[in-house]
Amino acid sequence: MRWRRALLPIYLMAALTYMFIPVMVVIAFSFNDNQGRFNVVWQGFTLKHWLDPFADPGIIEALGVSLVIAMLAAAVATVLGTLIALALARYNFKGRSATNVLLFFPMATPEVVMGSSLLGLFVALRVGTGFLTVLLAHVLFIISYAVATVRARIVGFDRHLEEAAMDLYANEWDTFRRVTLPMIMPGVFAAFLLGFALSVDDFIVTNFTSGSIQTFPVYVWGAARRGIPPQVNVVGTALFIITVSAMLFFLRWQRRSALKKA
Amino acid sequence: MTAIAAPTPVNPIALAAARRRRRVPYLLLLPGLLYLFVFYLIPLISLGRMALQSGNLQAGYELTWEWENFLQVFTTYRPQLLRSLGYSIGATLITLALGYPLAYAIAFRGGRWKNLLLVLLLMPFLVPFLLRTLAWRIILADQGLVVETLKTIGFLPDANGRLLATGWAVIAGLVYAFLPFMTLPIYVALEKIDRSLLEASGDLYATPATAFFKVTWPLSLTGVISGTLLTAIPAAGDYINSQLLGSPAQTMMGNVVESKFLSIIDYPSAASISLTLMLAIVVAVVLYVRSVGSEELIA
Amino acid sequence: MRPGPVTTNDGVPAVELDSITKRFVDFTAVEDLNLQIDDGHFFALLGPSGCGKTTTLRMIGGFEEPTSGVIRLHGEDVTGLKPYRRPVNTVFQSYALFPHLTIFENIAFGLRRQGVDDADVTKRVGDVLELVQLTGRDRQRPRQLSGGQQQRVAVARALVNHPRVLLLDEPLGALDLKLRKEMQIELKRIQQEVGVTFIHVTHDQEEAMTMADTIAVMHGGRIERMGRPTEIYEDPKTEFVAGFLGASNLMGGRLEGNRVGLVGGTVVHLTTAAAANQAGAVNIGVRPEKIRLHAPNDETAAPNRLAGKVTDASFIGVSTHYRIMNPDLGELAVVVQNLDDRRFALGEDVVAAWQPEHTFVVSQ
Repeated sequence: MRWRRALLPIYLMAALTYMFIPVMVVIAFSFNDNQGRFNVVWQGFTLKHWLDPFADPGIIEALGVSLVIAMLAAAVATVLGTLIALALARYNFKGRSATNVLLFFPMATPEVVMGSSLLGLFVALRVGTGFLTVLLAHVLFIISYAVATVRARIVGFDRHLEEAAMDLYANEWDTFRRVTLPMIMPGVFAAFLLGFALSVDDFIVTNFTSGSIQTFPVYVWGAARRGIPPQVNVVGTALFIITVSAMLFFLRWQRRSALKKA
Repeated sequence: MTAIAAPTPVNPIALAAARRRRRVPYLLLLPGLLYLFVFYLIPLISLGRMALQSGNLQAGYELTWEWENFLQVFTTYRPQLLRSLGYSIGATLITLALGYPLAYAIAFRGGRWKNLLLVLLLMPFLVPFLLRTLAWRIILADQGLVVETLKTIGFLPDANGRLLATGWAVIAGLVYAFLPFMTLPIYVALEKIDRSLLEASGDLYATPATAFFKVTWPLSLTGVISGTLLTAIPAAGDYINSQLLGSPAQTMMGNVVESKFLSIIDYPSAASISLTLMLAIVVAVVLYVRSVGSEELIA
Repeated sequence: MRPGPVTTNDGVPAVELDSITKRFVDFTAVEDLNLQIDDGHFFALLGPSGCGKTTTLRMIGGFEEPTSGVIRLHGEDVTGLKPYRRPVNTVFQSYALFPHLTIFENIAFGLRRQGVDDADVTKRVGDVLELVQLTGRDRQRPRQLSGGQQQRVAVARALVNHPRVLLLDEPLGALDLKLRKEMQIELKRIQQEVGVTFIHVTHDQEEAMTMADTIAVMHGGRIERMGRPTEIYEDPKTEFVAGFLGASNLMGGRLEGNRVGLVGGTVVHLTTAAAANQAGAVNIGVRPEKIRLHAPNDETAAPNRLAGKVTDASFIGVSTHYRIMNPDLGELAVVVQNLDDRRFALGEDVVAAWQPEHTFVVSQ
């Protein structure tokens, strides 16, 4: 009977491994010594792609575009989302449930519909698709997630903290700056990171609204047909390693600073 | 210490201050909601309008109230519509079957590694989605390890059996893509369950299986619903998996919309298909949520 | 800290509430409240949940606005002013210490907002930490302190600003019994040392009676009875106050002159003062500890006597709590100090007796 208890942990490990299989394939194929344009069959180990990652300028440009857009979109969406979260969590006003419903919809809309409707709008307004349209689109679908993330953090907040600040002679702005903001900062930061990740990874909506510019996923999609250069794998792997390391550093730093103040 | 008895009029300063305070939430909401309004609601309306137009790119479009545009969804594109709904439901069920135990394992057996396990679950997302789906194309390739093994076992019918370019590959891709979206909400719901409830049920003679069905499952239902919605809805509109892992025989509504918008550039037709997809999903969601009684999820 | 009280002593009350009403959407929390609180006093607002006491406190602090009426602090109309413009400070029920700041910064918060310079800040924070006996903890964070310590920091944080009035919103609610009793004495000591007007909201009548110079009992949004603890305990005047401040043994009867003919025929006596200006149907009461039990026919018993049977006897240590059943008037609660070994057994016939001056009248 005791082996039954081991079933769940084994399944857990198997499932996590399953999640990582494609990642490992991506990493592995960055070392593939492929002949020709396609990188789908393993042909031998080589480091040459790693030594020459910038061979295709298109990749780097696309990556740059992705990162810039992600930064801007995440920043804007986080600010807007934080304001909304504050309003929803703090005040009971008319139209509150309507707002909640309105915020739910972007999360529930398939990207195809969102992308096509935005494209429709831009076509109708005769606005050319490009950097700006992609940025606007990204902000749109990130907002709902930002609201949800920050809100979770605000809800656990003692309401009296702000009253206490005002009782101690801080006006509204001071209270926000010195009490509210520091308290919700972890949530705001998490929202920013989430938005950043969603933006970098996004393809469908971007595809509809990008026109001639390319973000990294758009580049990959376009290259899928004519053969994806292994440098793409290199960049993907590098991104992965960098972000993982950043996360580890962040966690280590968090733990250390929590201990320091004790 | 005595009490005074003189009445006084309402304080005008207090009134003004109260009025100011009431405006604050609306000011906070304004930028965000305005944005949503302009870039979400209006485009949808615009899409509706476009769906009723006719014309082409050269001659221009005009609003001719072409309701037939909507009909074609059910005639010409019925296979895609059915496939989108079918794949989506299939993928959702499989994802639920895989994701629930996963969430359960982390919530109830994770111990102090819970957060680490969650991070691991999400870590693959740091590699762009397209790359990972393409990786599946390599893994499930015709001469690849997986297909060969399945042929040897006898799982695949004959020497020409393949995984790619079948509906199963598309569903497998969808499952992979949305597993975390299903797992996380279920995990959150399971995490919140008070462990003493389970102890109490044991105290009242429930076997572990009964305890699960009578206590754990019902309490995790909100998570299950969130998870299924977060999976089924995007899956219905997906076209990446069908394009990369399937063949033209597996096209879904998403593919149609994409090609009509970006390749063929037939806006009215594309718009009507897109809208129909959206409406189908909304109807399905509303029915689903109503039947399970979870309106609080949304509002 | 300054030595001695800071009464302005010009007769102006520290807090004045003038016909204050607070209406919420579906109910009225405070109805036409009139109140004057003298400087340097420890004042308690006592009442059950929902009686409006916390709402009243919040209005004084500026966190709620009255629907109508005027609030004055030391003569100045502050009704529309935000909390940060009022010279009052609050100790919140949940303490509301800023978790992201050290104890020092928590306490210094108000001082910094007022522009006090660093040297002064350090000195004043140090002084107040000493007052609440938490010196040395200034670099720690709230989460590292126990509940009682956090509470003292909350008090310190408020007092360091030398407010003219200190508002306390059920600050001892979260503490365990022993700690609560200690803090009651602490707070009283601090108030007397500093001389600031304290307004303390609580639902615990024992707490109010321990700490306050004056108690206002609130009920349904109004003040039902206000006065010194002894006053309102011995002469509650209303049924509600009588019941809220301990057991009351209420009995109905007819008043004539100084005598009340109780239901069932027994006659009891009052003092002239208690009976003043009243006649006809009344309810009278007597506190349980004022009643002595005697064997029937014991002539040494006090003039007001009721016969009954013992239905319950609980030995508490310090005292024994009895319930005596009288056929006409119901159950009487009697508390007898255990001065001797005389115990009355269940079912025993006894006479419950008390002195006329301990009889009080409550309005119907």
